[in-house]
Amino acid sequence: MARYGMVIDTRKCVGCYACRVSCQMQNELPVEESYIKFYEKETGVFPNVKNEIIPVQCQHCEDAPCVSVCPTKATYTTKEGIVLVDSDKCIGCKYCMVACHYGARTQDHNTGVVEKCRFCAELVAEGKQPACVSTCISNARIFGDLDDPNSEVSKAIIKMNAQPLRPDLGKAKIYYVR
Amino acid sequence: MVDTKLSRRGFIKASAATAALASAGTVGFNEWSNQYVKAGANADIKEIPSTCNACSSKCGMIGHVKNGRLWKLTGHPDHPYSKGKLCARGHGYATVVYSQDRLTQPLKRVGEKKFEPITWEQAYKEIAEKLNKIIKEYGPQSVALTEDPRASGKFYSPRFINALGSSNYYTHHVVCSNSRDSGFLHTVGVSSTSADISNAKYIMFIGRSYGDGIRPSSVQALAAAKDNGAKIVIVDPRLNNTGNLATEWLAIRPGTDLALVLVMSHVLIKENLHDMEFIKNYTVGFEEYAKELKKYTPEWAEKITGISADSITRIAIDMGKAKPKALIEQSWRGAFGCNYENSTETGRSVAMFNALLGNYQQKGGSIFGGKPNLGNLNESIHPNPKEPEAPKAGKKEFPLAYHSHGVATIVAKEALEGKMKAAIYYHSNAALGYGNPKVMKEALSKMDLVVAIDVQMSETAQLAHYVLPEVTYIERDEVIEGLSGKIPGIALRQQMVEKVHPETKPIHEIYSELAKVCGVGQYFNFSLDELNEAMLAPTGITYKQLRDIGTIMFQNEEITLGEMPKLKTPSGKVEFYSETYKDAGFKPIVEWIEPKVSPADDSFRLITGKQAIHSHTQTANIPILMQITKDYDLERIWINPVRAKALGIKDGDMVELKSSEATSRIRVKITERIHPEAIFVPSHYGITSKDLKIGQGIGFGYMEHVPFDFEKWSGAGNIHEVIVKVRKVKS
Ligand code: SF4
Ligand code: SF4
Ligand code: SF4
Repeated sequence: MARYGMVIDTRKCVGCYACRVSCQMQNELPVEESYIKFYEKETGVFPNVKNEIIPVQCQHCEDAPCVSVCPTKATYTTKEGIVLVDSDKCIGCKYCMVACHYGARTQDHNTGVVEKCRFCAELVAEGKQPACVSTCISNARIFGDLDDPNSEVSKAIIKMNAQPLRPDLGKAKIYYVR
Repeated sequence: MVDTKLSRRGFIKASAATAALASAGTVGFNEWSNQYVKAGANADIKEIPSTCNACSSKCGMIGHVKNGRLWKLTGHPDHPYSKGKLCARGHGYATVVYSQDRLTQPLKRVGEKKFEPITWEQAYKEIAEKLNKIIKEYGPQSVALTEDPRASGKFYSPRFINALGSSNYYTHHVVCSNSRDSGFLHTVGVSSTSADISNAKYIMFIGRSYGDGIRPSSVQALAAAKDNGAKIVIVDPRLNNTGNLATEWLAIRPGTDLALVLVMSHVLIKENLHDMEFIKNYTVGFEEYAKELKKYTPEWAEKITGISADSITRIAIDMGKAKPKALIEQSWRGAFGCNYENSTETGRSVAMFNALLGNYQQKGGSIFGGKPNLGNLNESIHPNPKEPEAPKAGKKEFPLAYHSHGVATIVAKEALEGKMKAAIYYHSNAALGYGNPKVMKEALSKMDLVVAIDVQMSETAQLAHYVLPEVTYIERDEVIEGLSGKIPGIALRQQMVEKVHPETKPIHEIYSELAKVCGVGQYFNFSLDELNEAMLAPTGITYKQLRDIGTIMFQNEEITLGEMPKLKTPSGKVEFYSETYKDAGFKPIVEWIEPKVSPADDSFRLITGKQAIHSHTQTANIPILMQITKDYDLERIWINPVRAKALGIKDGDMVELKSSEATSRIRVKITERIHPEAIFVPSHYGITSKDLKIGQGIGFGYMEHVPFDFEKWSGAGNIHEVIVKVRKVKS
């Protein structure tokens, strides 16, 4: 059984927003709703400066707090570890939004349904990559099976010592190289 | 398999009846969108290969069309620029097809900023009458055509203006690459080379940012070079977004890149690290050049550039040691694009520096690409209007300018002088983007006839007498695009969805029909398909094959590296000494030239550049892209904290920015990523057209602050020769 995860190498990310826009189109999101947010971290003093861009989306936490607080079980984790929302069951109570440490969830203004990055589950089911990964212009994103030690993503995690964004907040399935 | 109930907005939305749309054919926007909402389940998804139009790169892409409506895009895996990926603009700009602000029918100006819809017949008739009258009265050279060229435009636009008897064909390069083009052309015989980035060991970028002015394959190549341990140096007054991929940032004083390159060249020769073999075989004038360079010492350059003599020497030596897998990237715009009075000389010095490294046509170096061998129309049946003998306007003033692109702003200058009487602008927002908008506006209003062909009511369209609505690139087929490079190839832009607005037309139809009414229809007596078939003939590829695949690369025509071609310079070699320059009244050997203006202690140089999500001003009205600007306040100006503090300015403050030309109000981003002498403003904002509701009023247009001025060598706009003062104001 696959367990899906991703590496984001911020040393390669140029902050081009291609992942955000392709995600919005893939998921037919309204323009002001996005599953990917960007944080910038500037360090140093001119002219010795470094700038890091950190794309953040749902981290597909193991033991996800958004899953445990959901009163209707609308948010659930698939066997492959992808955290999804069943829009038919979601009552828009926003408990999950409060529970998520990463601010990864957004509510649809029209339907009230809360959504977030879904690892493009239907593309993955077809053996394709999530939209953000396939369009990343610098190959800063790698996606695949964390349980397969030979997958590109597993090898990248080992090779680059990738870590969850906030290991203190529990295990996640997106690993960052910084 | 993924175990999941695929509950997802997209799939839910598209779940109802589907037939309506499929049979809808050509309908109006409102009707169209209503039907789309009603349309539904069993989404019928088609994948159509085509090419992007969101910037000049024209990457190959695949449109995913769901129930007849464009759903999403992916990068074409075979296309050399996309390599399977698209940038944010590429994804987002495509939504222009469904923009509420599109032009939907021909318009005629009936008063200041007042237009009324007319039929195509009336538009053609009146435009043709006026054009012919102007040509009769003032001669064909009083008419000009300017565009930001794409595949069809590149073929039809010059043909159209030449058919009218005028040689005045221009491109947007006047604010893009004119300087670089001239500098390169007269040194290595081509206006641009390409760079073998992924194989390079040492790469220097001057004022060019792959992460901001994106072409997906270039970023992929740079990331690969980084993985391979290449040294990547960014020379830029601001730490641009390629910074993450770089090993070093040289925060150079704006306008002094030329000094840096001259000195690095000197160091290379002094340290005996230049490629003597290459120089002997493939260059002329080396002795004089080397002698002249002696006066440029690292200490001299340190004072001018603000980069330490040690760093300059170290980098030059390291590049020399890494040769021929070392290069200064050829750039587009940036430092040796079009920005300073000395930019052509910078371009020239870069082409020469690469020659010193002997990197031409070498793995990891600068590449002269090969072109695909495409066919032509049979001239005996389809006569081709030759470019008229009369010199293109601007040729006399700027003899070094790259002829094919010309100096587009000369049209405005000659209009102000009463010489240019008519101008056609296709896919070009010259009034906002090419020169000071006030001057451009005055110039356009002096002309007897201005025609704008566009998909939206740009600032230029607002100043036109006639506005002709084109279909978007999502709704049209185009002329085959030849791809030159290490491996040549071809790509096709083809229609993905039915026309949304019935009264819009593709450009080839507009030119062909207008030509007929103008009385020069004989030059347009073929269909687009006939033209494309003729172009394909020598390749052995059928039109159907190309339509099915979209991009075809000719792998067996890959150029051989290590073999220098004969160059198209007068000597056939790299010219360290240029008779052409001499004949044109310039120094035959490259030399240091001061920027035209410099800031004082209480002022700044205003510099501009790209952001990854926008192209010129054409994307400013695209909601999905402009939302990113809003979410991250990307329209702000960048100021260094030391300078900001002295002026009492805090991050996010509103300031007034004042130059000799204009005053703007804008909020501030305080960042260590900018040279204290400069203020950076992204180049995509300042939309004033009230018909572009999304973009209007966001940020300011930097061109408002740019004097209407030409760089002496190439005619490029001196768009970085601007001094501004800022002061805090209440928001
Ligand atoms: S990141 Fe937030 S939304 Fe995603 S699984 Fe974790 S808690 Fe849930
Ligand atoms: S597409 Fe890749 S490089 Fe661009 S912002 Fe997203 S992660 Fe970064
Ligand atoms: S670089 Fe981006 S905008 Fe330009 S053609 Fe390619 S995908 Fe389109």
